[in-house]
Amino acid sequence: MASAETAQVVLQANSDADGGLIFSINGPLDAGTTGQAWRAALQALRQSNPKRVIVDAARLTYCDGAGAALLLELQRRQQARRGSYEIRSLNAAAQSLLDLYGRSDRLDPEPASLGWSSVEQIGHATVTLWHDVVALIAFVGELCAALGRAARRPSLVRWKDVFLTAELAGVNALPIVALLGFLLGLIMAFQSAIPMREFGADIYVANLIGLSMLRELGPLLTAIILAGRSGSAFAAELGTMKVSEELDALVTMGLEPVDFLVVPRVIAAVAMTPLLAIWAGFLGLIGGAVVMRSLGFPFVTYVIQVESAVTVSDMIGGLSKAFVFGIVVAAIGCLRGLQTRSGASAVGESTTRAVVSGLVLITIVDGVFAVVFYYLGI
Amino acid sequence: MGLSGRRPIIRVSHLTVGYGDVALLDDLTFDVYPGEVFVILGGSGCGKSTLLKHMIGLYRPMHGSIFIQGRDIAVAEGPARIKILTGIGVMYQQGALFGSMTLLENVRLPLEEYTDMPDEAMDRIALMKLQLVGLGPAANKLPDEISGGMRKRAAIARAMALDPPILFLDEPSAGLDPITSAELDQMIIDLARALRITFVVVTHELASIETIADRVIMLDKRTRGIIAEGDPRELRDHSDNPWVRQFFNREATVQG
Repeated sequence: MASAETAQVVLQANSDADGGLIFSINGPLDAGTTGQAWRAALQALRQSNPKRVIVDAARLTYCDGAGAALLLELQRRQQARRGSYEIRSLNAAAQSLLDLYGRSDRLDPEPASLGWSSVEQIGHATVTLWHDVVALIAFVGELCAALGRAARRPSLVRWKDVFLTAELAGVNALPIVALLGFLLGLIMAFQSAIPMREFGADIYVANLIGLSMLRELGPLLTAIILAGRSGSAFAAELGTMKVSEELDALVTMGLEPVDFLVVPRVIAAVAMTPLLAIWAGFLGLIGGAVVMRSLGFPFVTYVIQVESAVTVSDMIGGLSKAFVFGIVVAAIGCLRGLQTRSGASAVGESTTRAVVSGLVLITIVDGVFAVVFYYLGI
Repeated sequence: MGLSGRRPIIRVSHLTVGYGDVALLDDLTFDVYPGEVFVILGGSGCGKSTLLKHMIGLYRPMHGSIFIQGRDIAVAEGPARIKILTGIGVMYQQGALFGSMTLLENVRLPLEEYTDMPDEAMDRIALMKLQLVGLGPAANKLPDEISGGMRKRAAIARAMALDPPILFLDEPSAGLDPITSAELDQMIIDLARALRITFVVVTHELASIETIADRVIMLDKRTRGIIAEGDPRELRDHSDNPWVRQFFNREATVQG
């Protein structure tokens, strides 16, 4: 390591009278100098293609593993082309290093496994998807059974965990839900007020805000925040427990991870999501009110207009959506956590999968609700 | 071995380490000499891993200095710090191999970062180091695909990538079966002899200490300092300190 930053020339190549190649080394061969020497030596070897290679090591001051690698590489190449190779005046320390690294019983690496062909990749992806669907169905069954057990014997539920999770996933989410809900209401009101004003219909901005925030966007916004904030947290938490064998410890104590860990989280999320959705809707309405007020409508007009537009069934529809979103996001977060494999990147992977699957499922559930509400005439 | 007159390769001087305001170890002074296997030992929680983390520059000490090859790692910044760090290699307790890279790529990494070698040279050197620790055939495997003992050997190969004169090993035998552990000990002895590497080893495995150690220091959490220093075989049989004898003879302290 002594001369890592000094780029001195330590290796010079000269041809001798018989067409042999002489490498004279002058200075240290260490991690700092070997790179340059390596390039010079191999270039000379390629150019002159000699029968005989002689390394003159009389002025080699220091040699470490990198230098030994170079001397052995030259030897290997000469052997491969059946040329002769000789190192002259090598000091004892460097010689012992060469003996150590160059022992003939060193084993070469086994080849790395070959990658998959595209057909194999498609097949593998299909099987993985199928297993995932099966695991999801099995988990839904397991979760329902566990929730059933919890409903029959509420004393078995770990209520301390429920309240703790409710605080983390619900109470602590109030500011971010408030901010996004308020901005959503404000922006939507502002964007729609401009074109609607041209038709003299700007009072109906209140209807738009009221219906969309309470029935559709409030629950959706809440679910998306929940997926990003808490679904990922559940996956990371359970994933870390899986990696550190805490889940195995639970199982060997006769405790089901689903009862012990998943049920409290799902109960907490289910209790919190509708409340957060109401909160998001309320803040969205306030955002709308700010815009309406600035357009010149009195506050009371806005309130009466919202009251006339939104029915109790809209409200119940929105809340029932939030209820189901809560179950879906919490359950998929926990499932991805429980599915964590080993390795440093596994927890990160589970967290990503929790958020992505959460968002996909929210979209699907929302679509199903739209169809159901349409046929129920809500 | 005669140590008088030799210059130490590591000099720890009046070192106090701890967390926050609480000192875990107070006013430690000791030297490590080139080519020796130096073992830091002590009971659980006595601060030996913390001491190691200070010696490799992960933490800053509360007081004192740690000279590695004449440079104080406790105050070094920028290029001076890199210079010290490329002169040491560290094997962490669990190996700390990068899971997304093969063993060869793990060993190549320091070479890629700190040298200007061509790709082929880095591959050759990395493979050579892996072969030295007996992992030639596994060079293209991922850390997940090999056993715990192999991971530790691969971690030693990575620590040796730049041929540092000093290697720090944190609990090399922890979690290994006696045979694998003995093999690892033998490898440490071989490397110390063949490459004249100075080893600083943190451990509490008695069998391992007696095989590998040239010299030990023993830390104790009651006194927050060194309670014994010297040849482990001497200490086991002739120490006047009851704690030291208790440690070496594996006697339990029964407290009510």
